[in-house]
Amino acid sequence: MPKRVTSPREVAAKESRAILRRAIRLALDTESAAVRHNTRSFNLNRYRATAALPDYDALKDEARRIKEHALVNRKALVQRLSESVTRNGGHFFFARDAQEAGQYIQGVCKRHCVRSLVKGKSMTSEEIHLNGALEHDGIRVVETDLAEFILQAADEQPSHIIAPAIHYSRERITALFRRKFQTDLPLDTGEDLTRFARERLRQDFLAADAGITGANLVSADCGSLLLVESEANIRLTCIAPPLHIALSGLEKIVPSRREFASFIELLAASATGQPLTSYTSVIRPPLAVPVVDFRGAGPATREFHLVIVDNGREALARDAQLKEALYCIRCSACLNSCANFQVLGGHGFGGATYSGGIGATWEAATTGQLKLARFSDLCTGCSRCVPQCPVRIDIPGLNVELRSRLNKSIPLSLTARAMHLLLGASPVENASAQQIFFAHYDRLARWGTLFAPLSNFFSKVPGARWFLEKSFGIDRRRHLAPFPRKTWVDISADEVTEKPDAPRGPGVLVLADVFTNYGAPERGKDALRCLRAAGVRVRLTKSLPDGRAALSQGMIDTARAQAETLSRYIAAENAAERPLLVVEPSVLAMILREYRKLLPAEAFVKLQNSTIDLVQFLARHFAEQGSDPRAVFNIRKFAPGPRVFYHAHCQQRAVSDPSITVEFLRRLGFEVTCSQVECCGMAGSFGYKKDFYDVSQAVSEELVEQWKAAESAKGPHTLLASGVSCIEQLQGATGRAVLHPVELLAKLL
Amino acid sequence: MMHNTDGQSEPVNLVSPAQQSYLDQFREQVSATGGTIEFVARSPEAVRDAVLARASSKRPILIAEPRYLSPDYFRPLRSEEGVLTHPHADDYRSAPVGVTEAFAAVARTGSVCVDIGADIAGYVSLLPRLHIVVVDAERLVFRPSDLFRLEQFARPTFHRDFVFISGPSATADMGPLVRGVHGPHELHIVVLC
Ligand code: SF4
Repeated sequence: MPKRVTSPREVAAKESRAILRRAIRLALDTESAAVRHNTRSFNLNRYRATAALPDYDALKDEARRIKEHALVNRKALVQRLSESVTRNGGHFFFARDAQEAGQYIQGVCKRHCVRSLVKGKSMTSEEIHLNGALEHDGIRVVETDLAEFILQAADEQPSHIIAPAIHYSRERITALFRRKFQTDLPLDTGEDLTRFARERLRQDFLAADAGITGANLVSADCGSLLLVESEANIRLTCIAPPLHIALSGLEKIVPSRREFASFIELLAASATGQPLTSYTSVIRPPLAVPVVDFRGAGPATREFHLVIVDNGREALARDAQLKEALYCIRCSACLNSCANFQVLGGHGFGGATYSGGIGATWEAATTGQLKLARFSDLCTGCSRCVPQCPVRIDIPGLNVELRSRLNKSIPLSLTARAMHLLLGASPVENASAQQIFFAHYDRLARWGTLFAPLSNFFSKVPGARWFLEKSFGIDRRRHLAPFPRKTWVDISADEVTEKPDAPRGPGVLVLADVFTNYGAPERGKDALRCLRAAGVRVRLTKSLPDGRAALSQGMIDTARAQAETLSRYIAAENAAERPLLVVEPSVLAMILREYRKLLPAEAFVKLQNSTIDLVQFLARHFAEQGSDPRAVFNIRKFAPGPRVFYHAHCQQRAVSDPSITVEFLRRLGFEVTCSQVECCGMAGSFGYKKDFYDVSQAVSEELVEQWKAAESAKGPHTLLASGVSCIEQLQGATGRAVLHPVELLAKLL
Repeated sequence: MMHNTDGQSEPVNLVSPAQQSYLDQFREQVSATGGTIEFVARSPEAVRDAVLARASSKRPILIAEPRYLSPDYFRPLRSEEGVLTHPHADDYRSAPVGVTEAFAAVARTGSVCVDIGADIAGYVSLLPRLHIVVVDAERLVFRPSDLFRLEQFARPTFHRDFVFISGPSATADMGPLVRGVHGPHELHIVVLC
């Protein structure tokens, strides 16, 4: 039995898998319900708000461009900003690390004899552990953002970058306040709790000697700050006390105040999903308005200090693979759209300061400790966050890179070495036995198929699952699909077109991806039958690994080698540049997205231009021919009826529009209900791993709920999913058969 | 008549009043943010009546002098009983109503833009529970970014410090959405047109 976790702080720094496991347990047991509810409502609101932005994509491009440019020019911008702040009558300080920043602020407070200060929410101040340093000097530090107020009362780290107490339900806040503040005041509604906090804090604002805020952006040309908030605590912190200290990372600097314009609506839509939050302030402190003497301390003049923090950012900026993380504007869209984050929150999926998929890079960079990025293991690479990020950061790409570095930081174990040898896998790349197991799925499967049914018999031998769990961390509760005796390539000789009655024309190349080849050969065959029925000339490739499995384990070198081999093979096979059709969505997304980073530009573009989802190709084919697909696919042949519940694969949605498949099915006469979840929770190998089995199950609950809701509203539905792992997950969770779209189509022939 | 802080009269017509659709959108967005809105004639008496009606019996009413609208608009109001133009610390602590102008309004987001730098508007728009803000319909722009593109924005004296106010202060940190946190609980916008 692992030791019980009594406070989130105990498991904040996730230096090891053991701590990560305990943090996951804590999150699932006590925080999940509130996190699910709150992140999902943020997520929905964001979809609505970004859809309503007239130029969402252009704004994202613009924001990205500004950030890229600013980072390149960071040295000059810091210099310019320092001059502007001084010109405005403020004080500028550049802190190389957390300690320097803390000491500077402590010094300013000492000089001003600060006894109490109010703070607006600032992740940077969490990062540099400012409160502890100030309290050490005997200063009373009051967090005024209500979420931070809760966390200060509970002594917990933030669990979300814009809603740090997102893991607290109303009921838990009530209990906390009763315990902490020993009050009989009513605390049973959101209004009660807000009134209670407001009344306490109003006194603190007016009595404070200093105010500390962060900043969403800082402009170098005139030293203006952009401050976005809804509670007005930041406005009060800036204006009520005579001394204002603003603290910000160097990545927040943009050249001029005009650039704020590109971020204001984009940030609000991406963050809280509003056109704007209640207050978006643009100020150039020190404010000119006289200080009102609320403290009764006599007249005072305003003083302003801007502290710009490096603390690992400069090193990050020089890190070619990870520097993208510095474009982050802390909107939290990537957290809210992450299926794993939705069930865990940042105490499970996060570090001491930063959380979610983007948080791992930040945590490692600002602490200088790679091992603190361990929670990046919770990024499955599903890529749902990618289209949501307002500055277009490849967040899964960052996590693969971190995983690769974490792998390389641990020496190769004997078992892992033996596995490389046994599998004949090259290059030999540092990874755990489990990672090698999953990364070389193709090799294992080849063996398994070669020796089927003996190999399948093995997995039923008593103790075999125990062995797999012990040695490779494969959860024994998971169903393992048996290896087929013959692969897709083996059984498709008949379907390939070198036959006299084959359709004419240049035809297409169908990729015999390893997952379909070894995992679902009949599905592959169905795909070919559909194409032939549609009059398409088909050639099936050899089955070569595409690198997806290796990449998801952080084995970038292996993935690159496989990508190169595959792309060379395709180039040789496909001189005529026929369309390359893919059945398995994770492989499709691998080629269309991940290959950009793995292949030379020319090879990537070539593949990108020819590769297409197989069902979408069919839809396009009929449209181009101007022929009616119903002449080929007859829905009346499908006895279960026209209602289907479709879950489109997460990675597929990052590279192609699933509505094309849906529209095609509708055209054939199906009534399609689509799932509204980001991911099924299986995410390739993720759900098979013992450490993550519970997370995976928790994620699938919402999907199952939606399916049930569809059935109770309209009657039975045929379950449809596009990925090998989604199909496994849905079958496991519903106990029902789940079809791939091509399997459904083949039944209409 | 509009004028800017440089003191010259400068009629600006950012959105033609004919573009009624912007006004409609503004009205809708203001209610979406939890604010209230009314349209009155461009007359000092109308401003006074609107403010007094909304403030009802609540006193004192704090007033920040306008810098963009003509000061005439607040003149009749200033001579009303319980209206303060030079509040002290204690007035700020207790006053239930604050009145300011806004130098612009934004249709798409339902925001009003209040200059909070040099004048007491920063306090008056923040501390009382009810904030009443007066803005001229001519100063309506479509999006926040439009404001940043204006020529005036480059001028050093113009909008050195300002805030887009979109509804009353609010929080979702205590569970359900609650309106009225550290800033105003109610926002009322009086549009001159
Ligand atoms: S990585 Fe992108 S989506 Fe995530 S918080 Fe940063 S800006 Fe937002």
